[in-house]
Amino acid sequence: MSELKRYERPIINKQYSGFMNKFGTSPITTPKTEIDGIAVNHLVEQFGSPLFVMSERRIRENQRNAYRIFKTRYPKVQFAWSYKTNYLDAVCSVFHSENSWAEVVSEFEYDKARRLGIKGDNIIFNGPDKSREALVKAIRNKSKIHIDHFDELYLIIEITEQIQMKAEVAIRINMDVGVYPKWDRFGFNYENGEAWQAIKRIMANKNLKLVGLHTHIGTYMMSAEAYRIAATNMALLTRSIRDEYKHLLQYIDMGGGFASNNTLIGQYLPAEQVVPSLEQFADAISSGLFSLSFSAEDLPLLILETGRALVDDAGYLITSVLANKRLSGGKRALIIDAGVNILFTSFWYKHKISPAQECGVYQEEAAIYGPLCMNIDCVRESITLPSLKQGDKLIIEHVGAYDMTQWMQFITLRPNVVMVMEDKSTELIRKAETLEYIIERENLPAKFQKK
Amino acid sequence: MLKFFTDAVFLSYSQIFFSNRKWFGILIFLAVMVNPLIGISSLLGILITNLLAMLLKFDSEKIRSGFYGFNGMLFGAGVMFYFEPSFYLLGLTLIFIVITFFISAVIENFFAVTLNLPGLSIPFVITTYIFFVFLGKYDFIRFANLPLYHGPVNTAEGFILNYLQALSLIVLQPSAISGIIIALALLLFSRIAFQLSLLAFAINALAVNILIPDPSPNFIIISSFNSILTALALGGALIIPSKKNLLLVVLSIFMVVIFTGFFANVMNSVALPIIVLPFNFIVLATVYSLKFRKDHTELTLLYYKLQSPEENYYYHKNRRARFDKFKISYPELPVFGEWYISQGFDGEYTHKKDWRYAWDFVVVDEKESEYSSEGNRFEDYYCYKLPVISPLDGMISKVIDGIPDNDIGDINVEKNWGNTVIINHYGGLYSALSHLEKDTIKFKEGDYIKKGDIIGQCGNSGRSPYPHLHFQFQLSEKLGEKTFQHPFVHFISKSDGGLKLHLFEYPEKGMRIQNLETHKILKGAFDFYYGRKFSFACEFKDKKFIEEWEVKIDIYNNLFLENGSGDIAYFVQAGKVLYFSAYSGNKESALYFFYLSAMQVPFCYHEDLYWEDKYSPSELPKSALYYIPEIFLLYHDLIDVNARFNFAPREEDSEDFIIEGNIRLEGKSFAKIFSEEFRSKINIGGEGEITDYEFEINNKNKFNAKQIFNDEETK
Repeated sequence: MSELKRYERPIINKQYSGFMNKFGTSPITTPKTEIDGIAVNHLVEQFGSPLFVMSERRIRENQRNAYRIFKTRYPKVQFAWSYKTNYLDAVCSVFHSENSWAEVVSEFEYDKARRLGIKGDNIIFNGPDKSREALVKAIRNKSKIHIDHFDELYLIIEITEQIQMKAEVAIRINMDVGVYPKWDRFGFNYENGEAWQAIKRIMANKNLKLVGLHTHIGTYMMSAEAYRIAATNMALLTRSIRDEYKHLLQYIDMGGGFASNNTLIGQYLPAEQVVPSLEQFADAISSGLFSLSFSAEDLPLLILETGRALVDDAGYLITSVLANKRLSGGKRALIIDAGVNILFTSFWYKHKISPAQECGVYQEEAAIYGPLCMNIDCVRESITLPSLKQGDKLIIEHVGAYDMTQWMQFITLRPNVVMVMEDKSTELIRKAETLEYIIERENLPAKFQKK
Repeated sequence: MLKFFTDAVFLSYSQIFFSNRKWFGILIFLAVMVNPLIGISSLLGILITNLLAMLLKFDSEKIRSGFYGFNGMLFGAGVMFYFEPSFYLLGLTLIFIVITFFISAVIENFFAVTLNLPGLSIPFVITTYIFFVFLGKYDFIRFANLPLYHGPVNTAEGFILNYLQALSLIVLQPSAISGIIIALALLLFSRIAFQLSLLAFAINALAVNILIPDPSPNFIIISSFNSILTALALGGALIIPSKKNLLLVVLSIFMVVIFTGFFANVMNSVALPIIVLPFNFIVLATVYSLKFRKDHTELTLLYYKLQSPEENYYYHKNRRARFDKFKISYPELPVFGEWYISQGFDGEYTHKKDWRYAWDFVVVDEKESEYSSEGNRFEDYYCYKLPVISPLDGMISKVIDGIPDNDIGDINVEKNWGNTVIINHYGGLYSALSHLEKDTIKFKEGDYIKKGDIIGQCGNSGRSPYPHLHFQFQLSEKLGEKTFQHPFVHFISKSDGGLKLHLFEYPEKGMRIQNLETHKILKGAFDFYYGRKFSFACEFKDKKFIEEWEVKIDIYNNLFLENGSGDIAYFVQAGKVLYFSAYSGNKESALYFFYLSAMQVPFCYHEDLYWEDKYSPSELPKSALYYIPEIFLLYHDLIDVNARFNFAPREEDSEDFIIEGNIRLEGKSFAKIFSEEFRSKINIGGEGEITDYEFEINNKNKFNAKQIFNDEETK
């Protein structure tokens, strides 16, 4: 007997007259039943719900495209995988196997990269917090230390004298590139001459070798032009160093910050229409760098710490409907089993969310709430969705960046993460947490312990 | 000095049989000594000639090689062969040896300048004739009447005897014992030469039987040794050996027989011997005529200093495999990053006839698609608006701009080249970059540019249905000039097997290619600039020694490495690749093993990069194995030596690079059982220095060397 026709509860939709929204995206009707050819149902059966799914194929495609785009515009390009974006071993390993270095911002990330076998000189050590121990480690391994402030510079000078080793350093530079907010809390300022002061200090010290310059003008940048200005300034500085000290820098690190195709909350147009393409970012950066009057052989290496733009759309979150509700105002609400504790990015993105099974054609506006017993646990204020039953699956897309690093263990446990491999097999890359895992770190004072 | 002196003496003997081996000369000397009178007289001939040449300060290298001595030797032997010894004859001989020397000098210079030919033994023939004619009036000097031949003709025994006799007569010896020594010397020196002598003798016998009615034994023997000498010269000494040489040798022997008949009749009337006249005549005429061909790929004349026919063969084969493609200009790909050749030489669309040597460059993704989404907008094409760069230094000689892009799928046949830049790279080489984007050309006519400068952006103007870069080399600044076949100095192609390095090759349709990116550590280690010095602590076969090298330069601007004992390895730095071209010297020196290990080294690093090369069997470490395939070399080349190099996986946290080489000598067809394997390894330290290297022969003998750094150099 063929399957029974699916029951759909009736919906009353208020009809609006007047202008149609000419920008409106078409509501989602086509369900997404598989990820990289693997059925969603199958994944849930095997690994449970909620479930993060990473696509190896997509990561590789993204990385290769990005490399192609930059490499065909500038002759020397190196990517460094930004660990904080997603530092699951499996994800990092895919990037490293595509010849990416590691860009880390803490000792923890540094050690994680070393554990994966990344050579010391292929690690870029960023961030305002580097402990003495971490710096010693980085200096010994010849990692590239990007100095954030003068106190760190002094500390490095002290360490190099102590351990009698040379350090390979670069300085992070902040500058006004005409975007708001202006990032001036990291590194040394370009306009007020602080950056040049730092360079002079480094050049005067025999234990420090200035190997590069670093800038990172912001995050989720919507303007390619800002990168042209930044790259031009970096080129000018590189040339000044060459002219002043007869010293050729090995690289210019333009950081990351390229926007991904996730639409921000409060953004009117969908991301696909307003976010500059990677080609535009690459054009801007290379044209800025070519204002260097260097011969082809002497051009510095361009390092990119792109994170979000390479991994965001390689991550999916499969979640199940726990319940349907009607709010006091008549608005429909869905409760799902994935909350903001594991989907941190829902605070700033309007993710693309699609049903993972066949559903009806009628759509209704709804709010999506997570399972936490907290008022902030709102995954989406408003979205148009077809009617869904308890147990139906939803796929939240573009969750590869930051979610799996900024998530927290709060009220519920963090779920499984699997990777769909290029050969269509699936691998569990991070096991769901268990009670034992959580309490293993805890210590109950003896007097509370039951005998 | 003593070495120079003995070299000059014995190599004079070797010269007669086109050999460059001293031991060969010693054997011939022994063969000549079978008749001591002739032997001493011939030695006298050499000594006087060489002494005179040294006294008059002729080129000492030529004296050493026996170049002047061998005509004196022949004359010295000839006199004692034809005449009965007497004191008067001795005096006269001394004077005539001097005459021989001067005639040698004259003939050598005259032949070299006017005809670019060697003098062979013509000086000997001329002096002998002068001597004969001069002596016509003196009845007290009598002919010795040594028999040319004494034995049966048409038996197997006679055949062998006849052959040996012919060999001995080449050095004017009447005894067949000399012939035995000479045959042995030939066999040891070169399997090819020995076979040629046998073949020549047999063909000669056949030719004489066919062409000459009732030949006298003397006639047979004279044409025999002329034939043998001709075969040695044309079969492998003056022409690179090949199957074709056999045909040439057979034809030449028929001519030798006819010319022996001709000279016999002519010379008989004036009572002069024929000696080696037919040989000289046929060889010089053949070599001279071969110079005027258009295509020299077959029956190639010797263009290198004389070696054994085997060595000549291998040297030539190796040179063709390794150097034919070399050019003096080093253009690189006109793009950044990895591009894809969508149309190559003799392409299916437009690269035909006069425009066949051109390339169309596009960018493709993983799936080999040139565009994303639908491919109906310019922006969908990956290569659209990408920078294109100058392949070489040069001057902008023509700029065509202002032609708008065609819609996707359309072509502009009126201005089919589209926006184009033509660059003059001097020395007659031009390159043209076409279908550029309007208003993106950064230079104007007359601007000087450097290799790697951005010229403009890839577009879709002209006869271009979708964005691509058309690139060609040509010989003038004319737009639409016919293409000129010229390779790129180097590029890397990507396939499933990894990245392959190409040197002076032509990208082919379907290749994914990119330029080399200099790695400063590798460049530092292999940048052998003039005056750079190295010192190595070496170990080989339980011997320990220190060897020092220095980079030197010769008058032709060729750079070479030379070690303390004068061994030399020539190299070229072709763009970003170090390339060794030749080695001469001791085969157990550190430099020799380095030459084998670093035959080709790119200054760039990719994990999965590999490169291949060919070696000549004769430059590999000595092995008895090579003799057997050498027997068949004239008919079939049974040995190939292929080498493959790659970077070894890098140790965790090590800054060192290791270049591994695997050189395999492999036999073909029935010689498959012959194989040898050599492994090499070069370690390059993180400071950009060769720290050590090793070379392993058949998993047995291992050479290794460590560089010794002194303080001055490490600073």
